Amino acid sequence: MRHFQSILTGICIISLLSGCAQVRPWERGYLARKEMAWEVDPLESLLNNHIFFSKEASSGGNSAAGGGCGCN
Amino acid sequence: MNLSLKRFSFQAMGSYCEIQIYNESRINAKRIIRKLASEVRRLEQKYSRYRSDSLVAEINHSAGNKLGIKIDTETKALFDHALNCFEQSKGLFDITTGILNRIWDFQSPQVPKQAEIDRLLPLIGFQKLSWRKSRLIMPANMEIDFGGIVKEYAADAAAKLARRLEVQHGLVNLGGDFAVIGAQPKNQPWSVGVADPNKPDNMMAKIELLDGGLASSGDYERSFVHAGKRYSHILNPKTGWPCTGLRAVSVAANLCTVAGSLATIAMLKDEKAGLDWIRESGLSAVAMTSDGRIEGNRLKNVKSEALE
Amino acid sequence: MATNPSPSLIALSATALALPGITSADAPPTQSTISYKFSNYAEDDLSRSEAPFGDLERYDIDVHQFQFITPIDSSFSLHIDANYESLTGASPWFTSKGVNGDPIVNLSGASGIRDRRSEFSIGTKYYLFNGSVGGNIGYSEEDDYRSSYFGLTGERHFNNEMTTVSLGFSYSSDAIFPTDAEVFNRVISEDKRSTSAIISVSQIISQVSSFQIALGLTEQSGFLSDPYKLKDIRPDNRTQIALTNSYRHFFINANAAWHVNYRYYHDDFGISSHTFDMRWYQNLRQSIQLVPSVRFYSQSAASFFTNVDNFVKPADEYQSSDHRLSAFGAFSGGLSFVANLGSWTATLTAERYVSNDSYSAYKVSQPSTALVRYNRISVGLDYTF
Repeated sequence: MRHFQSILTGICIISLLSGCAQVRPWERGYLARKEMAWEVDPLESLLNNHIFFSKEASSGGNSAAGGGCGCN
Repeated sequence: MNLSLKRFSFQAMGSYCEIQIYNESRINAKRIIRKLASEVRRLEQKYSRYRSDSLVAEINHSAGNKLGIKIDTETKALFDHALNCFEQSKGLFDITTGILNRIWDFQSPQVPKQAEIDRLLPLIGFQKLSWRKSRLIMPANMEIDFGGIVKEYAADAAAKLARRLEVQHGLVNLGGDFAVIGAQPKNQPWSVGVADPNKPDNMMAKIELLDGGLASSGDYERSFVHAGKRYSHILNPKTGWPCTGLRAVSVAANLCTVAGSLATIAMLKDEKAGLDWIRESGLSAVAMTSDGRIEGNRLKNVKSEALE
Repeated sequence: MATNPSPSLIALSATALALPGITSADAPPTQSTISYKFSNYAEDDLSRSEAPFGDLERYDIDVHQFQFITPIDSSFSLHIDANYESLTGASPWFTSKGVNGDPIVNLSGASGIRDRRSEFSIGTKYYLFNGSVGGNIGYSEEDDYRSSYFGLTGERHFNNEMTTVSLGFSYSSDAIFPTDAEVFNRVISEDKRSTSAIISVSQIISQVSSFQIALGLTEQSGFLSDPYKLKDIRPDNRTQIALTNSYRHFFINANAAWHVNYRYYHDDFGISSHTFDMRWYQNLRQSIQLVPSVRFYSQSAASFFTNVDNFVKPADEYQSSDHRLSAFGAFSGGLSFVANLGSWTATLTAERYVSNDSYSAYKVSQPSTALVRYNRISVGLDYTF
């Protein structure tokens, strides 16, 4: 039940956010900066995902799973 | 592979248009240019204020309708650019100014009465337009006109289409608004002449373009002289009278659309502010002041030469 | 463009560039990039009190990663990924009760650990006016493991690109064939399948901030146990769900970006976890960036976890002493140094990770002794052309 509540909260947050004030294309300079991307260093993210996948029990939640390995 | 220059001309946007491209085959070049001309005509058909079947006519027809009219993505992007120009020029560049053409007719040298102008001023003001999601709501009797943006946009769009069709060297010219498809072979620039407003057969300056575009704004064509005073077709939305600053401005920028917006805004400001605006942009430009002086910004040579 | 373009020029260019005839709203990257990263991962050795018998040295892994991304005409992009890792060291073989009743672990390097892994994948993305679709396929191979996989993704922008919804789907089919299977009485060859789907929504909140929420669901089936452990029997099905929240904020005065992520995870092995991580991208001077990061992780134990192997229980009852299924928590901290030199970007990263049952936010009834601590350093180089 706990996880269902988290999901519901998430959906509510998104619905509220659609009421955000428009940010015009020419105002997106800061958002376009490399360090504001969702994944700044893709190789670092891939490496960390691989390490945590093999050292911890949790996985997923970022992008659709890649290949498997015998490390888990 | 033997590339040679092919050029074709056609009428569109009320002007003489010419596209030059380097291609081995004349037939191929013709086919490509026909596609480009078709794209220019598509934009003309969509945004012309002179056609009763255009989208702009439909939008203007919706003025006063509280529900507004649904706007497609391309038109919305043009409105975004118009809003940007409105803000950057502090309200001088205003696409709702077109309504003044009802009383200013540049075919006949007639100066309207102040009362006629005063009656129309309340119907001007980009800030009076409102949006609900993708619907534009325009107050009754207002009009919009993309004339100051669409010809330059069409030049850029034609150039982009040409590049998609794998043209590497070419130049689009829509009535004096230029967009480079690609530099001439061996990375040589295209040489473009800017006409002298006083002596239209002469060049005021020659500008070399490797990429980007060049646009001009000025009182060359639609203007008249009455009682010794010159009346330009570029009207100030706040006063309803023609602008009284520079006589002509040509700017070279990364896009013809950007060059056109910068040139038009320079014309709408008074002379000193217009020249400062050009200088601040850091771009290559040439302007003629009201007393006939030629001012250049970042140009190699600025002089009046006879066209060959 | 002009040297020293004025703010007006930059602003006017932005809306002109957004016109559809000039550029598609979604476009492939304008340049190609080649990236390479070398990393070394080294686990701390165990102490004799933790492992009275057997090896003490744990994993030491070298990883080489290679990536190439390039646009193909104006609507496609291609990406190629390849990586190679080589490993030495031992991993837990079994656990038992020590002299004072505490669990002790026995490592074995002779237990045929996968010592080399290569992976190769290729993907493409097609850019439409308001979004994109993409696919990728890949293959990885180790001395005792093989995996083939493919994925599909789709993305669409709404509301003037203020909101983006993405969908992803992937499937992987793996085969396990442990080394020295007959000698150690292991399974000879087994397989495993994994299907996962993810949906995410990103929203621009202000000129300097954006938020993303993602929900992922994974279903694994087949042989899920660890064939190298003396007694490890897990269910042949595992359903996993993960919910991630991410926030990005740019601090103009500090010239720095802040990233914070929180993930909640749960699966039907009985494991739940919280992951919380933050990164601060500090721009210094011209083209230098310092990035400190912290991460906190906390998980609960699998319902069938036991910290001492029970060799008496019947073979059809689930059990595992794998420390990765125990209740534990982990802290890690790292620092990256990024330098931008024209078309080249160099990155140097160091990270320290420590895990312990006492760090878990969950109740720990059976602490594992084999929890991992490691150091990682990475050196990366990017070239854009």
